[in-house]
Amino acid sequence: MSYLATSHFLDDNEFVDKYLYSMRTGELDLSWMDASTKDVHCTSANERRGLTFRDLDVDGYGFSDLPEVVRENRCYAPRGAEIPDGVPDMQASVNRSSDVWAYNVEGYVEEAMSRQWDATTDIPWAELQEAELPEEIGKAYAQLLTFLTEVEMIATDVPAKWMGQVNADFIEVKNFIALQAMDEARHAEIFRKRALSTGYGLMRASVQNEHNLKFLRDAETFSEASVTLHLQAEGNVLTMFRFSEYISPTDADKRMFRLVMQDEARHVGYGMQHLKWLMKHNPECRETLHAHLEEAENFLFGSIFANEVFEPFVILSGKGLKKENIDKGLVITGMFQMRQTEEYFERLDKCGLTDRRERSRLHEVYEMTKQGLAAQGAI
Amino acid sequence: MKVDFPSASFFEALNDRMAQEQDRFTRLGYFDTTFGVTVVGPGERRRNYLLNFEVYECMGAREIDNLEGEDPDFVLEADIAQWQDMLRNIQSNGGADTDHGINTLTHFGEGMKVIYDDPERHDKLFRFSESIQEYFDLAADLKIEYAS
Amino acid sequence: MAYFADRQYFDDPEAIKRGTEFSEGKLILDWYEIETDRVRCTPSDPRRGLTYEDCSKGTYSWDLLPEFVRHNYSMAARGSVLVPGLPDMGYTENRKSDIWADNIGELYEESKSRRWAPAVDVDWKALAATDFDPAVTASMCQLCTTLSEVSLVAMEFPSRWVYAINQEFLELKSLLCAQMMDQARAVEVFRKRALSSGGLKRASANVQQALKELLMADNYIEGSIGINLLVGSLLLGVYRVAATASTIDAHLFRRCQQDAARLVAYGMGNLAYHLAHREGRQEVLNEYLDSVEHCFAGIAGATEMLEPLIVIGGGGTEPGQVASGRARVASIYRVVVDEYLGRLATAGLERRDRSRLPAFFAAA
Ligand SMILES: [Fe+2]
Ligand SMILES: [Fe+2]
Repeated sequence: MSYLATSHFLDDNEFVDKYLYSMRTGELDLSWMDASTKDVHCTSANERRGLTFRDLDVDGYGFSDLPEVVRENRCYAPRGAEIPDGVPDMQASVNRSSDVWAYNVEGYVEEAMSRQWDATTDIPWAELQEAELPEEIGKAYAQLLTFLTEVEMIATDVPAKWMGQVNADFIEVKNFIALQAMDEARHAEIFRKRALSTGYGLMRASVQNEHNLKFLRDAETFSEASVTLHLQAEGNVLTMFRFSEYISPTDADKRMFRLVMQDEARHVGYGMQHLKWLMKHNPECRETLHAHLEEAENFLFGSIFANEVFEPFVILSGKGLKKENIDKGLVITGMFQMRQTEEYFERLDKCGLTDRRERSRLHEVYEMTKQGLAAQGAI
Repeated sequence: MKVDFPSASFFEALNDRMAQEQDRFTRLGYFDTTFGVTVVGPGERRRNYLLNFEVYECMGAREIDNLEGEDPDFVLEADIAQWQDMLRNIQSNGGADTDHGINTLTHFGEGMKVIYDDPERHDKLFRFSESIQEYFDLAADLKIEYAS
Repeated sequence: MAYFADRQYFDDPEAIKRGTEFSEGKLILDWYEIETDRVRCTPSDPRRGLTYEDCSKGTYSWDLLPEFVRHNYSMAARGSVLVPGLPDMGYTENRKSDIWADNIGELYEESKSRRWAPAVDVDWKALAATDFDPAVTASMCQLCTTLSEVSLVAMEFPSRWVYAINQEFLELKSLLCAQMMDQARAVEVFRKRALSSGGLKRASANVQQALKELLMADNYIEGSIGINLLVGSLLLGVYRVAATASTIDAHLFRRCQQDAARLVAYGMGNLAYHLAHREGRQEVLNEYLDSVEHCFAGIAGATEMLEPLIVIGGGGTEPGQVASGRARVASIYRVVVDEYLGRLATAGLERRDRSRLPAFFAAA
């Protein structure tokens, strides 16, 4: 499988002689000084923001000039550099802009770099040490955290899997997914650390959800992976974190969810802007996406079997295990699920996949449930 | 107040500045290394200091006879004229210029030597290089009395 | 490649029934009976926060990771209760001594703690106002073009393996994600440095050929010593020279140096752990390095790397400046090779008498 460079540099006399000659005589080639590239002097448009990728969007280097199909660069060269003969092929399989690009990706990548945080130091762990959680809250919370740790790990694998496939000309996207991998590693970290600091430890893995996660990971195209991971799954998680006011047992936990939420919102933002871009620039893929979403929704409906996720949510939102707690928890959880589903369809609408609602069996169930709840006077 | 160089009080003065600039050093991140500083005076007379950094601060700077027993990660060793030259440069520029940074001094010419046994611990010079340079740059506004 | 659910849940009476039961408040709560190790991890040093090391406790400890991970191919968090039916994620890196290092936790925490952002942590305005020799400016643009290529590959390397590494090695996967970010940051800063002062120059066929050979290593440990130790050691030297261009560059390249030093530290830790736990691997890895060390020469000696370094190191293209630049680069290359071989030896791989690199760099 190994790749071998086209030259063995220590045995390549021409290479060795040139090196020794330059070093011994000081006669340099310097032909690179006349590289046929644009002379640019980018400065920051807003000094408080510093020098951003958007400031680099200039003639000869910018992302605004990216063609739909990248044909010129197949190697590791940075976009805009002169590419000489003899460079290797990086074996990218994603070479179409519409397969990865998103409106404002250059903004998301800057935001990601500047809003990094540290699970080790940004949570008042010492304060949490004092917080005793009652058994039912503690166990339910530990179970929920176990599930969240599981979810986050898949979200590191997906960007990593695509990194090497994405053409080097899409550098803003590559950097975005590198940062997403780090964001998700930090999420897995913080949920694990929180679980292990509750006094209850990690609980049970979720079979049902793990199969769903495997589906997210093994999507055939980047766009399919993105629409189900960034938009659908992370969208659901984002809604869940917004419910953290109900489910967080302490203020420090609320802070934890707020920090994670910022990152998640960025991932969802990218997912939506990518889907919008895709719908505009490559609308033919609509049917393939529908097919992929159909299976994603099938998994979602099947998550009714993941009682190790729903039940902790019910207990946490009802704040206990007594009948009145469970009743209250069920109402809140029901509302939360409705909200999740509604927001999912809203996101798809906004991105131009407006016909999803009429084709979706999940939407049918959602409408029926809504009518049922309305008949009971619950909503 | 004037501080003598070399002396333990010189490093204590740097440590005070470091405490005042805690935000800056916290932003640079964990700073975990214990290293030695050796100032070689006339007649090969050596004065050695051991600096112990932990998390974001210097836990202690003390003068000791022999650094070897202390097992530092690495030792920065130069003669007194070189150290003074570096400090004067820091003072006149508000921080070391490129010829007087630790990076340059330790790798080009004979200015400053890095002594180490263990390459892994030597690499802490690189892992924390910005914090190390900014620590020495704190000398910019000290009043230093140089030993002759 | 697509993965499907085991059934059509919308048509599954069991699923409908389960939904109805839930809405009636009939919970199952089987998970509630589970008893796992009830650790309560706390920061051992409050200034440092709650580290991964603080959380390596009880049944959750990384010390309990077996050499062969056979019991879990799923995404379940290490130490949680595994139940029948979990999916197999197809992980192919399941052997601890191939990938592990004793300094993983420390390096992961350090990388987060020492993070920085090129947009704001480099004084771009002061850089624009700095007076450079035009040849140095052009050289910096060329060097940053070359370093963009190197950093891109250093970013590809961890991502290429994260996907294949068993989730039980969570802290390692996290460190590799941090390396992806560190190298993304390098790609970013070199692009910004070049485009703020003239633009990119020429990509390098030699550098890229060498990098591809290292990136595409057959197995993890070979790739790890190739990228983390061989390329990482070279980067530490290149950054030292680049840092001499200006005070702003000194700040910029010291930051890059810190990030590269963590690659090197992990590479050493990985190699040391591997050799300490595996018999007879010295010869195999020595043979591998016999075959790929030429890539080090290919990168260091490539015109697009060597010449800008000489010009920056000497401050210009006047004969005297080139002479001093050559001396600096020759010396740094010798130091870098020496340090690289020293790191290997400390990790347990002695090849100072075997490597062709010292002779190659001494010849200049
Ligand atoms: Fe996440
Ligand atoms: Fe996410």
